Amino acid sequence: MSTSSSNPVRDKLTAVRERAGEAVAPVWQAFIDVVRPVRQRQIRATRSVAARLPFSVSAPYLFLAPFFVLFSSFLAFPILYTVYLSFHTYQGIGNATLLWIDLGPIQFELTRIAQLEYVGIQNYQRLLGDTLFQNALANTTFILLVQVPLMIVLGLALALALNASWMRFKGLFRTTIALPVAANLVAYATVFLLLLQDNGLVNTLFQMLGFPTVPWLSGGTALIPGPLKSVLGTGFWPRISLVGAVTWRWTGYNMIILLAGLQSVPQQLYEAAEIDGASRWEKFRYVTLPQLRPVLLFVVVTSTIGTFRLFSEPLIISEGGASLSATRTLVVYIYNIAFQQFQLGYASAMTVVLVAIVAVLSIVQLRIGGESDA
Amino acid sequence: MRKSTRDEAIWRFLGYTFVLLVTLLMVVPIYWIIVASTLPEQAFLTAGTDIQLLPGSHFFANLEALQARESVDFIQSIGNSVFIAIVYTLLSLVLCSMGGFAFAKYEFTFKEPIFYAILATLTLPIQLLVIPLFLLISQMGLTNSYWAIILPWAANPLGIFLMRQNMKQIPDALLESARIDGATEFQLYYRIALPTMKSSLAALAIVLFLFQWNLFLFPLVVLNQGKYTIPVAINELVGAQRVYYDQIMVAAALSIIPLFLVFLFLQRHFVSGILAGSVKE
Repeated sequence: MSTSSSNPVRDKLTAVRERAGEAVAPVWQAFIDVVRPVRQRQIRATRSVAARLPFSVSAPYLFLAPFFVLFSSFLAFPILYTVYLSFHTYQGIGNATLLWIDLGPIQFELTRIAQLEYVGIQNYQRLLGDTLFQNALANTTFILLVQVPLMIVLGLALALALNASWMRFKGLFRTTIALPVAANLVAYATVFLLLLQDNGLVNTLFQMLGFPTVPWLSGGTALIPGPLKSVLGTGFWPRISLVGAVTWRWTGYNMIILLAGLQSVPQQLYEAAEIDGASRWEKFRYVTLPQLRPVLLFVVVTSTIGTFRLFSEPLIISEGGASLSATRTLVVYIYNIAFQQFQLGYASAMTVVLVAIVAVLSIVQLRIGGESDA
Repeated sequence: MRKSTRDEAIWRFLGYTFVLLVTLLMVVPIYWIIVASTLPEQAFLTAGTDIQLLPGSHFFANLEALQARESVDFIQSIGNSVFIAIVYTLLSLVLCSMGGFAFAKYEFTFKEPIFYAILATLTLPIQLLVIPLFLLISQMGLTNSYWAIILPWAANPLGIFLMRQNMKQIPDALLESARIDGATEFQLYYRIALPTMKSSLAALAIVLFLFQWNLFLFPLVVLNQGKYTIPVAINELVGAQRVYYDQIMVAAALSIIPLFLVFLFLQRHFVSGILAGSVKE
């Protein structure tokens, strides 16, 4: 701490600088702030004091302008255009000029960005009968139901172990387990692809240890129960491989977030539970879990959104020979329809449906997870 | 109130076993990348009996073979990726910090609706904008340029959101007194807000860099030969007629190992980047 100088403003500034390093709200805190009911937010909202001072009215707009221009053209417009596109079929890149502004040195030409034909809800109707879309949806659901719980339970168990007072080498373990976070998505997927080849390292190790080898990227059809065969298609092991790879990449990431959540649980609560004679399980059940709820909720929601985004891993694994019907996720299928078959209208309709599914899931999770919030 | 020590010992044993096992599983693939990139191709083709877990001496031979490929110039793709990620990060930091400052410290018309509109986009899987973005970028004549990948996500909603959250920490009195001393609004941002926000800017920088470093779908769609980023270049190798394991492993090692080293040195910043804010140790 600096000793106080004669300048109060400078003191204030140093204090803020020192605080800024630690007083930064973690992302889930912010996340909770946002999903709180609006009324509560309004009660808590305090108008900035700075706002009462005269300042040039244009300042905030000027600050926001660069962000806003790019945001509007590359985020807001594309979102709206996707919806628009989903009611059309795509017939080629646009070339009709809509507007021509000549300012001498600078000329603007506004052109239509695509030639489209209006088809109403045809794309959406086609979607209902598309078996490949059902297959992609089934695969994505499988990953959601298997991989997300697995990863969160693993991450939580690791965080609990690394938060225990008796654990040594905490920093070392944490760093090593979090290493995969720094791996490039495509590079790590490629490495897993090579590890899991029929004669790859994993099977070689299995052979050495006397286990039967496993057709990681192709086989295992027999393991899928009959009624599911029609939607899940072929290949049991490729799915497991995909789940394994994604879990490897993201468990450490979630562990870090959960560990931070655990460290913010007030120690007094544990001491109080101790005095009441709570068992290990009771402490976890009645102290840790309720305190960790917002963080867990954050992890569940982000992991769910992440599952619906899966693209790099399944694409690489299927390019490398894994059965496509086992690894076709929604985004892989959309990519295939949009950029290999150039049916942009149909792909947009699928995108809209996907976003709707993610939105509904997130809202449900927030409702369930946030209902008994004090 | 102590529980029996035997019980305690069993818990510890289980805890250590579990953590060690997971650590091993995390390290093996990474170790294997390093080893495999130094092995000759035959090592991968001899099906399953002998297994090599010690580095060989073929790293540079493999690298030469990789660079001899007609379809991909891998070294150049590393340069492309680094350049794009750095420019993107800097541009995005400027946009997000300015925008965040406006939201945190000013009142203006439509402030709330604009902010919530930006926030709403956070929940979208952003890769799904690829279709209209592709049309837009084609129309602007930007396909196969670095800008095609830098511009679309420069206005990063997560970035502006975090900046706003953190800039709220700046005391209003500080800005007031600076105004009284005759500072312009831009000076407030440049002289007070930015220096105060150093740590959160660093955390955000890591988030942005990693985001750009891992972008795959859009670059795959808009980039052609010569402008490839690392992910697209590796994808090109995987999708080739014949898979050359040795070359792919060198490429993977070159793209993963540097970041691991950076991660080891800047671990704390990485963690705070992940948490988008710092955690007390």
